[in-house]
Amino acid sequence: MSTPQRKSLSEDLIGSLLFLAFSAGYAYSATLIPAYPGDEYEPFTAQTLPLALSTMGVVLSLLLLVGTLKTRNAQNSEQALQQRATCMTDVKPDYDWKTVLQLIALMLFYAVGLKWLGFIIATTVFLAVGYWVLGERRKKILFGASLPFVLLFWFALTQLLDIYLAPGQLFHLLG
Amino acid sequence: MLDGIMTGISTAVLPINLFMVFIGCFVGTFIGMLPGLGPVSAIALMIPITYGLDPASGIILMAGVYYGAIFGGSTSSILINAPGCSSTVVTAFDGYPMAQKGQAGKALALAAYASFTGGTISAIFLLVAAPMLASVSLSFQSADYFALMVLGLTAVAAFSGKGQVLKAMLMTVLGLMISTIGTDRSSGVERFTFGNIDLMDGISFLLLAMATFALAEVVMAVLKRDHLKEEENQTDTSAIGSMKVTAEEVKEVAPTALRSSVLGFIVGVLPGAGATIAAFLAYGMERNLASAKEKLKFGTGSLRGLVAPESANNAASSGSFVPLLTLGIPGSGTTAIMLGALIAYGIQPGPRMLVDNPDVFWSVIISMYIGNIVLLILNLPLIPYISKLLMVPRTVLVPMILFFAITGVYLVSFNTFDIYMMVFFCMAAIGLRMLNFPMAPLLLGFVLGGLMEDNLRRALIISDGSLSFLWERPITAVIMTLALMVLLAPVLRNFFPKSRSKSTSVTSAEAN
Repeated sequence: MSTPQRKSLSEDLIGSLLFLAFSAGYAYSATLIPAYPGDEYEPFTAQTLPLALSTMGVVLSLLLLVGTLKTRNAQNSEQALQQRATCMTDVKPDYDWKTVLQLIALMLFYAVGLKWLGFIIATTVFLAVGYWVLGERRKKILFGASLPFVLLFWFALTQLLDIYLAPGQLFHLLG
Repeated sequence: MLDGIMTGISTAVLPINLFMVFIGCFVGTFIGMLPGLGPVSAIALMIPITYGLDPASGIILMAGVYYGAIFGGSTSSILINAPGCSSTVVTAFDGYPMAQKGQAGKALALAAYASFTGGTISAIFLLVAAPMLASVSLSFQSADYFALMVLGLTAVAAFSGKGQVLKAMLMTVLGLMISTIGTDRSSGVERFTFGNIDLMDGISFLLLAMATFALAEVVMAVLKRDHLKEEENQTDTSAIGSMKVTAEEVKEVAPTALRSSVLGFIVGVLPGAGATIAAFLAYGMERNLASAKEKLKFGTGSLRGLVAPESANNAASSGSFVPLLTLGIPGSGTTAIMLGALIAYGIQPGPRMLVDNPDVFWSVIISMYIGNIVLLILNLPLIPYISKLLMVPRTVLVPMILFFAITGVYLVSFNTFDIYMMVFFCMAAIGLRMLNFPMAPLLLGFVLGGLMEDNLRRALIISDGSLSFLWERPITAVIMTLALMVLLAPVLRNFFPKSRSKSTSVTSAEAN
């Protein structure tokens, strides 16, 4: 079995288990949906579709799980010897998790910043730090493509489109 | 029909709507050019802007963005071998070798002409087919609609490519599950809100679309370091060569463009198939029709190999509007997002749309034709300049796209909880993409979830809880049988090795 096939199988295994767990959790939550008196005689209630969907989710993820395990076993028994003989050069994908985690943290900060610092400061910081995180070091870009752009955007929103952007709550606290 | 066409023309040629077509095509071309960002992301990014417009202008803008994005994807395929979206992957097969030979200008011009042909022919077909289908579907009942939605969802799963069917079905179910979050529209009961007030209204489709497409695609590009690779691979787009196409070349590719346009339209009409499959099929068909000598040119810069997918993907884009406008059933991720936008406008696409909102119905169809002309005018003289936009550093573009995606959602609700939700869905989408789960079925399931539940509820109440509504009316029975056949098609495919080998070539990741 080649490396991509093996990778695909483990991906399917993880995926099916995740969906199975999610469907089970969803099914449990579906049973907690409140029902009105007499709902048991109704052909369709608020629970009907969620319960049907959770059943489908469980069945489909089990099908994927069984299919994956079956393929895996068949291929393992056939090629186990071959694999031992051949030196498998697993090429690890070169993922940049560090930058992605920084961007996600930045987005979360942006949500907090919008509430406490207001649109202009939060967005300027978001853009400038975003450029920096992605490797931009030119000051002209870091500052030139953040604050002026944000001011222009803010002007268009508040003055041209008449959209009210509340100032940050921090400024309310400070008086 | 003539009255409708006149209504459509009078609405579509309003200065504001012509402006929308122009802006849509321009912005779509630009966003589509950015590798990784497809038409779904392009439309999602434009939705917040369309909220301030009237429905006809809004949908015209989005339609312009759609075919602009498809063409933009071709530009980056040809110039830097980085398809902007899955439907333009095939364009790179022959377009990029042409660019390497110094014929980028000719490849771009041919792509523009082919797109124009595909778009125009399919717009004419749409003009005829849509009202016919809409008049037939006026007699549809809840059971038929439910059956149609089942068909649409199963078709998307069935067309997902080899080994992806179960995953696509799981994603559809996940989309339907997400659509049940919030207050039940019929009983008023809260479902899956866990006492959180912010979840009572459910999850907005704009939030989900932005998070799973725009945000996730950009973050995935960063994760794979594509933003760095593209800058390394950047070619000099200022020297694209002559854009002239000789009469012999036009003669050679004209039949290809016509054939592929018809094929593309038919594939586009099928729910779930979409532009990607249309492009692959047209390329395969053209290769099969070519002589042995011509066949060898495919993959090395064949004109027919470039024109076939380009005509087909544009024709399929228009074709995919047929089920959306006439039945209210989106056949792809892109039309699913348009359905969501139309519902937000208070317009329910489907057979009643022709009666209730004829101006929107016809103006969208007419604007498609205008859009194709605009694309041609825009692309031929401006492409050398537009292609320079590919030189904008990704270090600037990525945070900008993230900003537009987040702000687009925030400015609708002014609730920072939506940003947290976006980040959560974006992370989930990245995980699912890494596990090779397709995203389009999720969006389709989510958009159709509410409508599907309403129709199922009505059908079950009418039939007093019996499932006999699925086969009592002939039309429902036929649609359900079709759905069953579509669902079983991947299983049956295993019994026919010939068709199985063909299907492996069409491993479309997303039915855009």
